[in-house]
Amino acid sequence: MRETVKLISMEGFEFVIDREAAMVSHTIRSMLTSPGGFSESKDGVVTFPDISTPILEKICQYFYWSLQYSRGKETEFYIEPELTLELMMAANYLHT
Amino acid sequence: MSLNKEKTCFILEGWSYIQKGITKLIKIIEGEPEPPFEVTHYMKLYTTIYSMCIQSTDDDYSQQLYDKFRQVIEDYTIYQVLPSLREKHDEYMLEELVTRWNKHNVFVRWLARFFNYIDRDFVCRRGGAILTLREVGLTCFHDLVYRELHSTAKEAVLTLIHKEREGEDIDRELVKSLVDVYVKNGMGTLETYEEDFEIFLLQDTASYYSSKASKWIEDDFCPDYMLKVEEYLTRERERVTHYLHSTTEPKIVEKVQNELLVVVAKQLLENEHSGCRALLRDYKMDDLSRMYRLYHPIPQGLEPIAYLFKQHIIEEGTSLVKKNRRVNELQDKYMVYVIKCFQNHTLFHKASKEAFETLRREGGIEKLE
Repeated sequence: MRETVKLISMEGFEFVIDREAAMVSHTIRSMLTSPGGFSESKDGVVTFPDISTPILEKICQYFYWSLQYSRGKETEFYIEPELTLELMMAANYLHT
Repeated sequence: MSLNKEKTCFILEGWSYIQKGITKLIKIIEGEPEPPFEVTHYMKLYTTIYSMCIQSTDDDYSQQLYDKFRQVIEDYTIYQVLPSLREKHDEYMLEELVTRWNKHNVFVRWLARFFNYIDRDFVCRRGGAILTLREVGLTCFHDLVYRELHSTAKEAVLTLIHKEREGEDIDRELVKSLVDVYVKNGMGTLETYEEDFEIFLLQDTASYYSSKASKWIEDDFCPDYMLKVEEYLTRERERVTHYLHSTTEPKIVEKVQNELLVVVAKQLLENEHSGCRALLRDYKMDDLSRMYRLYHPIPQGLEPIAYLFKQHIIEEGTSLVKKNRRVNELQDKYMVYVIKCFQNHTLFHKASKEAFETLRREGGIEKLE
């Protein structure tokens, strides 16, 4: 069980984040917790050829913000207006 | 029109890609040499379905994919699962059924993951009017496999339970897994388990113990008979904890008690040589305690015993009076029985009290202190 996972954007940028943070996305979570299936669930590397780097970065930020919020630190999560649409679609895709 | 053509191409390609993924999944499930899924592959399958869903402005593709999901499971079940089940019998069929049930669940779980977007989007938006993907999977198994085989399976399981009752060792895990199949195919209720299995088990239990009772009551004295009853009740309770549903326990116990204790009560208790009166006569405290224990949970089970107790006191008291002896100690003596064997139960206090009142009235003896 690795502590971190690596998320790769369409341009090839690699984001290394905590496993716990990545699991905020149900899609990623079900992938990482599938028993007896994925050869790479041990390595924890996921490529998202459809998600651009700025969006993926924002998503990673969101994961961490979400964890903090659920622990009681109720701050606001700011989303730049120009990212909104893509971000929503990515969130939908990732079931976040 | 070229846009439409593009779209159609995309859909066909997309579906062909998904189909390949499904074939791979089936190979893995069937145990064929096939490398496990890579994360990238899984994401692509998920993404393909996702893309197809968001392409359509109406729910046309989502509906098609939803229907295909069901069809894939049905085809798998009809062409691969059923044939392998039909060629086996008895215990082998049961083993295959359990294996197939487990495989089916894994298959549906994986497929539902690929098609996950449909669950979240299309199914959700229908607000409960259509089944979720997992429910579709379960329904397929229920309609195609369970319906065909549950009766045969039930017979095979009852045969195993009968064997165990007769002292043979059986595969308890297998029976447990099968019971689970019945429970799960009830889709949230215990009706399937109760109607397709439990009711037959109870019938079997009743007839099994009915024939045992007839035999034992002829062969055994009351104390030995009671020991056997106690032992078999314990065994049945243990059976439930091992592989039946917990709600079956009271029902099975009731059947056993009925056949072994209620139906034969008169014969057992009133047996001249070893019945209730004999035990009282011979100070058989343990046996009397056992009798109380066995009959206590049965509605109106203790009444006949209390009656015999009362009659016994009256008889003993009367014979003592004839010999011109006092009956005081008798009261203490029988109080011991009430406390030690009959757990201070009011029925027996009452029986004792009434007995001594009768003795006082009819015996014409001096007041008892």
